[in-house]
Amino acid sequence: MASVAEETRPPAEPRRVGRSIIPALPAAAGLVAFFLVPLLVFAVYSVLTAQLYDVSAPFTLDAYGEAVSSRVNRTLATNSAVIGLATAAVTVAVGLPIAYWLRRSAGRLRIPVLFLIIASMFASYLVRIYAWRTVLGANGLINNGLQRLGLIDEPLDFLLYSRFAVAVALVHIFLPYVVLVLYAAMGPLGAGLLEAAQDLGAGSRTLWRRVIIPLMAAPAASAFLFVFILSASDYVTPQFLGGTNGVTLGVQVQVNFRTLGNYPVAAATSILMMAAFLACYLLSSLVLRLLRLQDIRFVN
Amino acid sequence: MERSHHGPFTGAVTAAALLFLFVPIGVVVLFSFHSTGGLSFPFRGFSLRWYEQVFGSPEFRDASLNSLVVATATAVVTLPLGTLAAYGLSHTRSRLRGPLALLFFLPLTLPGLFIGLSLLVLFTEVEIRASLSTVTIAHLVYVFPYFMLVAVAALNRLDVALEEAAADLGANGWLVFRRVTLPQVWPVLVGGTSLAFALSFDEFIITFFVIGADSTLPMFIWSTLRRTVNPSINAISTLLLMVTLVLFAVSFVLTFRGGRKRGGAIGGEELMEEALAGETFGTGTGTRT
Repeated sequence: MASVAEETRPPAEPRRVGRSIIPALPAAAGLVAFFLVPLLVFAVYSVLTAQLYDVSAPFTLDAYGEAVSSRVNRTLATNSAVIGLATAAVTVAVGLPIAYWLRRSAGRLRIPVLFLIIASMFASYLVRIYAWRTVLGANGLINNGLQRLGLIDEPLDFLLYSRFAVAVALVHIFLPYVVLVLYAAMGPLGAGLLEAAQDLGAGSRTLWRRVIIPLMAAPAASAFLFVFILSASDYVTPQFLGGTNGVTLGVQVQVNFRTLGNYPVAAATSILMMAAFLACYLLSSLVLRLLRLQDIRFVN
Repeated sequence: MERSHHGPFTGAVTAAALLFLFVPIGVVVLFSFHSTGGLSFPFRGFSLRWYEQVFGSPEFRDASLNSLVVATATAVVTLPLGTLAAYGLSHTRSRLRGPLALLFFLPLTLPGLFIGLSLLVLFTEVEIRASLSTVTIAHLVYVFPYFMLVAVAALNRLDVALEEAAADLGANGWLVFRRVTLPQVWPVLVGGTSLAFALSFDEFIITFFVIGADSTLPMFIWSTLRRTVNPSINAISTLLLMVTLVLFAVSFVLTFRGGRKRGGAIGGEELMEEALAGETFGTGTGTRT
């Protein structure tokens, strides 16, 4: 009897489990309340009138005018952009060969090295900034070492308190992320694909130029943007390592808000920075699309 | 170019990068055991005096305790909220899935400066006084996407057929979750929770804005760094490194090994790859296949 019942039942369509979205709603509500709403309030602050450590009516675009016309802001924005671009370029340029090595040549070293790289990601943010202050300082590892080797007489003072120092520390902070993202993205780039290219006569340079880099363009671009956005807006590293030449827009936003109590200008500068980041993101999608690199999918 | 595909070039880059990543941290750890106040070579012998000084400081103990409280609260709230959200996101076919995924992963791409400032503005507007509670709320926003990356990747890898079979055999939704889903993913969820703890324990960028008169360990380090060159900072740093590294090791072992042991339902490495592949501007949480 049971078997007859089975047969008459329509096949396929087993019971679906837990297809409701409801379990996700508490967290969503939390993020709306403590992530989206604050951002909105913050945006509203940017169009209000500045009072000392307060805002008031009427609505005005003065803060934007002030943020854009300030010559200091322009210098600091350049610093932010230079530091962000340098950090992103170096992490991606160094991250690619590392990810490739992990995939293709590491052998038994793969898991240990992966472990080390992830472990370094967990090293405290402030400790790393401090570590670079020690290493790059006048009595630090590098100056000390170079002096002992007799290569220099006086400590190189451009090492610390410069955009260079900020970028070095930020590379240190973001390199592990980039390696992991690129390593993951290279996953489907299996031995088969590369060997096929080599069998067809591609040398290692052609392999990189025609196979690996085109396939990695989209993930590398998003890693680049991720690092660029986070390092260009960092406000802590420049305070400790940037000196007077390495101050960034993020530092200025923080100073405007906490020290000068000019909330609208701090908010307007922040909104402009976010808009610039969004523009970078859109630009990179556009470029990838024009180069037809957006939709390359790995086929295994 | 005479490079074979076992390129010495890529190997050399990796070796150099590992040195770059570990030498500065190694220097900090080494000098935390220095017997003199000197912060540069030559190294003049070992002592624990800086650790004694640190442990003797009431500010240090307060800050550590506060960090412990905040990180624990963050982890304890993230685990259920995040698990539910990841479960909903990975199972639903609702049209809300896309927008919710975007919402869940967006905090990852927004610099902490803006998260911190906007939360400060909100707390000021609704007159919530800055305290460890506001810090915890901020940390929840910050760690949530990281937990989700791990949890969604794990849940996406589950074999739906197992859950459907259980449901066909009459198990209700909760029973399926508890007896079929959870046993397969719990190591990953615990790993994600310790990740949340570690991230919270070390968070400074956002905390700076929403903390009131209290202190956390990163805040304490920050104020020490600002004041003077105080060699005890090496010892504090080393202690902080130890805490986050132990937590990392726990989460690494749980997500990599733990996942694998459970009948290979979730290979740890593939899991990490999927989690990271999702980290491409928010929306990429991967679709269930």
